[in-house]
Amino acid sequence: MNKSLLPALLTMAGVWFTSCEKAVDIHEPGSLVPKTVVDDPDLPSISVNGTSLHAETFGNPADPMVVFLHGGPGADYHNGLNAGQLAGNGFYVVFYDQRGTGLSERHSKKLYSIQLYMDDLAAVIQHYRTSPTQKVFLFGHSWGAMLAAAYINLYPDRIDGAIFAEAGGFTKQLLDEYAETSRRINLFAEGTSDVLYYDQFLTGRENEHEILDYKMAIASSFQYADGNSEGVEGPSPFWRNGAVVLQAFIDISEDQGFDFTTNLDQYQTRVLFIYGENNKSYGLRFAQKEAAFFPATDIVQIDDTGHEMIYFKWNLVQPVILDYLNSLN
Amino acid sequence: MKSVRILIFAVGLLCSIQQSHAQAINWNALGDSKHIVHAGVAWDYSVSYGVGYGYQVDTKMPLVLNANFSIPPGEKAFDDFKTRLGGQLLLLNKPNLKGSIALNGIYRRYENPLASLRNFGGEMKGALGYYQSKWFVAGEIGFDKAIATHFKHSESFKENIYSDVKDGWSASATGGNFLYGLQTGYSFKKYDVTFSIGNVTTQDFKATPLIPYYLTLGFNYKIL
Repeated sequence: MNKSLLPALLTMAGVWFTSCEKAVDIHEPGSLVPKTVVDDPDLPSISVNGTSLHAETFGNPADPMVVFLHGGPGADYHNGLNAGQLAGNGFYVVFYDQRGTGLSERHSKKLYSIQLYMDDLAAVIQHYRTSPTQKVFLFGHSWGAMLAAAYINLYPDRIDGAIFAEAGGFTKQLLDEYAETSRRINLFAEGTSDVLYYDQFLTGRENEHEILDYKMAIASSFQYADGNSEGVEGPSPFWRNGAVVLQAFIDISEDQGFDFTTNLDQYQTRVLFIYGENNKSYGLRFAQKEAAFFPATDIVQIDDTGHEMIYFKWNLVQPVILDYLNSLN
Repeated sequence: MKSVRILIFAVGLLCSIQQSHAQAINWNALGDSKHIVHAGVAWDYSVSYGVGYGYQVDTKMPLVLNANFSIPPGEKAFDDFKTRLGGQLLLLNKPNLKGSIALNGIYRRYENPLASLRNFGGEMKGALGYYQSKWFVAGEIGFDKAIATHFKHSESFKENIYSDVKDGWSASATGGNFLYGLQTGYSFKKYDVTFSIGNVTTQDFKATPLIPYYLTLGFNYKIL
């Protein structure tokens, strides 16, 4: 190689790398993903059950409480914030990012269990409840609806009603059934390459939350890729995924299985199931399967939407939920 | 459970693989060929199609310089791709026992509706095996390092996820994966049909890519 060429190329490369933009520290909280409540004290948070949860409330604290349980595992409550409008109708609405996801504190993968999430939910309710007679309703979306069922299964006398928005499956068998239809992969589709190809660009160690959460965020475009079977219309907002907690619950599901239905037949209060018309993987048939575990249920279709109905069609979801809540209030 | 199912279903469905379109060579069938044209299909983190060219340099120690280009399938043809430039050197050259090392510089690109990534990386791979003129089998081990990555986020990312996300080159390496497996091939006339299979693990040996395997089916055409 020409002796003068090498320094010139190195100089050009150096200029290219360093010009215009400041280097991105991928490990620094706030670079690729937002800071959690641990790093940003200005975020609304509560400290319960040995962790710090990103949480906020809407409405009069003395009103009947509606606790919103977001999807995932590893999503957050950002795209469920429409439910805060229930505050204008006489409800005290509580949102929190589950442990290890959203803007809540991160933990080691080994820590997680279903029981821990149940204890967190109990602690959140206790934290916000203003009187022993205050009614408590659970409103769960997707994985959050699975958690709602798990909680009622454990503590049926603590909850005064529940709304299940497309729970992914109350048992391991049902979850697998839903997964089989909702996550069919076309190996040759752009959306599939979009969630697989980037593994050669970024690798995170087991508890490198910033990198792993960022990778999961990038993969989220898969959920609304063209032709997705869940009828998701497009992107909906979220703050930050929790990749470690997702992996933890995958492992728990695969290694131990789960069944959140063993006591549901004892729960006499009427519960509400809602599903999106365009979610081909769920539909009336799947809603009926899940509703069958309860003695008293209503099932309502939300027209012209899919799995993210709370974000995209809140105008249709809200009256259904209000009718239900007011009937029990 | 949303993303959960991507992983479980994909792994169950595929038993698939990752490995770049490195040209596996039957050193005992290479002879005096100067030019090697390569085409292949692989599981290289996703399905991937590749073409390549190799040039055997006239040196005492057999050396093949090579260039490769590969893309995954999808509606957008060149939003994701990988180019590799490097060479393979035969360090151990007994009649049937061969040991080689391959070094490649990598430039690759990834784009989806949320972000585009550009990366400079490097790959080192060693192979040791038994070679006949008609066939060969070798064990291989390698390391793929993502040295510097440029992040560029879309408006959709900034609007829906994180408005303060940083764009720019990474201050440090962004990843690395080890691979280990087997390569084999059958040679006839001017052709080699090669096959590689193995595992991929991240550099801390505690995690894996989404699909922790690699697979390559390659075809070489040799010209004097």
